[in-house]
Amino acid sequence: MIGFELAIFGFILMLGAIFFRMPIAIAMAVTGFIGSWIIRGSPTAVLSQMNSLPYDGFSSYSLSIVPLFLLMGQFATKSGMSNALFETASDWLGHRKGGVAMAAVGACGGFGAVCGSSLATASTMGQVALPEMRKRGYSDALSTGVLAAGGTLGILIPPSVILVIYAIMTEQNIVKMFLAALIPGILAAFGYMLAVAVYVRIYPDSATAAERKPYSERFRSLGKVWPVVLIFGLVMGGIAGDWNWTKDGVQALFTPTEGAAWGAVATGLYGLWTGGLNRDSFIDCILSTASASAMIFLILLGATLFNSFLAITQMPQALADWISTSGFKAKTV
Amino acid sequence: MGIAVTAEARAARLMDRLARVLAYLGGIVLTAIAIMTVISTIGRAFVGLQIGLGPIPGDFELVEAGTAVAIFCFMGWCQLNQGHVTVDVLADRLPTSINLLLILIGNLLIFAVAFIIAWRLWMGFGEQVTWFSQDVRDMLGFGYKPFTNNSTYILGMPFWYSYSLAFVGAFFFAVISAFTVWRALNDLLGRDA
Repeated sequence: MIGFELAIFGFILMLGAIFFRMPIAIAMAVTGFIGSWIIRGSPTAVLSQMNSLPYDGFSSYSLSIVPLFLLMGQFATKSGMSNALFETASDWLGHRKGGVAMAAVGACGGFGAVCGSSLATASTMGQVALPEMRKRGYSDALSTGVLAAGGTLGILIPPSVILVIYAIMTEQNIVKMFLAALIPGILAAFGYMLAVAVYVRIYPDSATAAERKPYSERFRSLGKVWPVVLIFGLVMGGIAGDWNWTKDGVQALFTPTEGAAWGAVATGLYGLWTGGLNRDSFIDCILSTASASAMIFLILLGATLFNSFLAITQMPQALADWISTSGFKAKTV
Repeated sequence: MGIAVTAEARAARLMDRLARVLAYLGGIVLTAIAIMTVISTIGRAFVGLQIGLGPIPGDFELVEAGTAVAIFCFMGWCQLNQGHVTVDVLADRLPTSINLLLILIGNLLIFAVAFIIAWRLWMGFGEQVTWFSQDVRDMLGFGYKPFTNNSTYILGMPFWYSYSLAFVGAFFFAVISAFTVWRALNDLLGRDA
């Protein structure tokens, strides 16, 4: 049982370290490393594990989706899609009270369809929507609030970097995860819009209404968002669509990795075409992708080390045994 | 009272340039594997026409090798910009000096991990190649000689290509984290003369 106690202690130590500002990846890696060392009595085993563990972990076909989607999202932020989405959404919703805030939510949702990260979605849409809302006399509380909430649509609406990682860690089907998140994502977008509508009725001073646009103009402005529709259709249609009806089951056009590569290349080409992507902004994209990818992959490495420590403590088995012999009903567990 | 403040500022510029160059290299690799994958899928779409077009052989091997190289090259830039996520709910309530101390400890631990990664990646690199006599190998920490240079299944591309590039990234990740320890120490001590 010494392993079990060590595992519990490891958990506490790791969480404690995280709360004391240690980088999450490092808290897991160091706890896992030292824990394995204590159990084995020497660091040799865990050190020789490290000969191949980082390289093997990083040279993963399925994990390559993560940097590719991050790159795609960065290209999308530079290519001017956010402006088009926000203008279109404003044309449709701007005349309502608080309508520009609702438009910001809608545009976040649209942007989430080409960007898999919440932070990038919130910051990109912030650059477009915040000045506009300020100009129209929206309160800061409302305008920053809708962007923070709208940013979460970036990871709900596929492609989503977090869902990719979750799917890989728990060995689930990435495509099914994406499809499962789409409806909640759209529901969340409507929910946020509803919340804005309620909020502006409680605090009428916090928002204004723009003039109503005629429907002819509204439908014309829908045309502006074609690149988002095209790229989303290409990526999601390619990885989730059934392209060969003569065979049984879903015959997708390509794997999620290939879909991510297509998304990155297509978004990049569109950015080059609009001129949003030039030498300087390409470098920005690379550096942001670098930071985010390295952060995520180091966490994955830390988690792998911590997991292998837990595995040799046999805590998962002990816990499973304890639950199965505890006599609790399935529902209680 | 910081340690060698002017040298630190000079080193900061050097580290910035170093981390940038590596991140650009990783970015080029990542862009290349994206374009390669797209070309490969286009080729695959035409495979039925029997006109000599097809997927790029071993495309997924290139993606795997390229991802590893790119990620290792990205590590230094992330560390230099303090890109690794931390939780500051509790720490924000503590005084600034304690926080600077915690950041210093965090950077020290990152340096330790980066050092181990680079050191063991070097040994992993050695396990992929048959170079040198056993005496030299022991000196270099290359371990026992494999029967052949390990290579990928389809392309037969030696693993040491990607291992060596990954090692360059990991090595400079360790160098840059050593610099961030110095930087965090000077943050704590203060930079006034």
